Amino acid sequence: MSNCARCQQPMHDSPLICAACGAVQSVAGIDYFQVFGLKRAFALDTVAVEREFHRLSRRLHPDRFARGSETDRQNSLAATALLNDAWRVLRDPVERVEYLLKIEGHAVGEEHAGKGKSAEREPPPDLLEEVFDLNMQLEEIRMSQRMGESAEASTMTEIAAAGKRFEAMLGEVDAALQAEGAKWDAGDAATRAQAAKKMIELLDRRRYVRNLVRDVRAAVTAQALQQELYGGNFVAESL
Amino acid sequence: MAYSDKVVDHYNNPRNVGTLDKSSEEVGTGLVGAPECGDVMRLQIRVNPETQVIEEAKFKTFGCGSAIASSSLATEWVKGKTVAEALEIRNTDIVKELALPPVKIHCSVLAEDAIRAAIGDWKKKNGVAETEAVAAH
Repeated sequence: MSNCARCQQPMHDSPLICAACGAVQSVAGIDYFQVFGLKRAFALDTVAVEREFHRLSRRLHPDRFARGSETDRQNSLAATALLNDAWRVLRDPVERVEYLLKIEGHAVGEEHAGKGKSAEREPPPDLLEEVFDLNMQLEEIRMSQRMGESAEASTMTEIAAAGKRFEAMLGEVDAALQAEGAKWDAGDAATRAQAAKKMIELLDRRRYVRNLVRDVRAAVTAQALQQELYGGNFVAESL
Repeated sequence: MAYSDKVVDHYNNPRNVGTLDKSSEEVGTGLVGAPECGDVMRLQIRVNPETQVIEEAKFKTFGCGSAIASSSLATEWVKGKTVAEALEIRNTDIVKELALPPVKIHCSVLAEDAIRAAIGDWKKKNGVAETEAVAAH
């Protein structure tokens, strides 16, 4: 840990604020884990971090520095912004994984896409087929919904079942991510490299599944809304 | 992020959306995905067995505007080309034509992959050696 920029006392806890003199520090080079005085790890005690987030929010709040020096005011604004970003990302288990992999130097996310494309990144063909077919069905449903009709009950049942299956798949992927994260947290360099590779694969797979779960939910919600507005098809026909 | 006029045009009026008969000998099907965002794209071609000219191309893409525009453009471009000529299409050509921003370049890569996959499938069906095309890259 470094020393405070103002009073030169060694820093404890968060590097954003000096516990001794209360000076807000420059945010340069501080990662989201350091914000909370944490080592890089996939496992996170979110309850403790949330408590720390609120404590730091109060201590760093720009209102407290309104009459401070220009440096204090600037630092307080920047530190508050960093604190908010850090909490928003770290509290979400998937965003946390993506962030940690990124700062560990792995290529993750859309901005790295298409450069290192290899056969390894291809999802299993059966998953791709299934995702594609379900998307076709979802489109049919959306089309009939747009025409103000309810989709066939049998189609909806099928889609809802597929949605359930994919939600379960999402749960499995998330559990696997957590398990690999734990391996990384406890492991040596070789274990970490292997766990990171696994996590990148899991994230790749997860995006297909996540999109589908999202779209199925939207279709089911739209269907429920439509039936509330217009009544079910069979009701209309029987009138 | 703003989409270019060309992307918007392809998005609003996608060319050649649809399906070809997957089981036909003359049809090649490419199904590819972008793991970075979860988009999926299917591109199909119907090849004239005499001339090896791609006479028909259809696509279906579930993804963002750039992915739809890239695949729409890809079908326009492969139509009327021979299989060998279609393999010359590069994702960078698509990027240029559609003015895609860096973060959407992978959409054009996906479209190029889809063309290759469709042609690869057609070659496999028709017993055309794959080696020649692969060796060129």
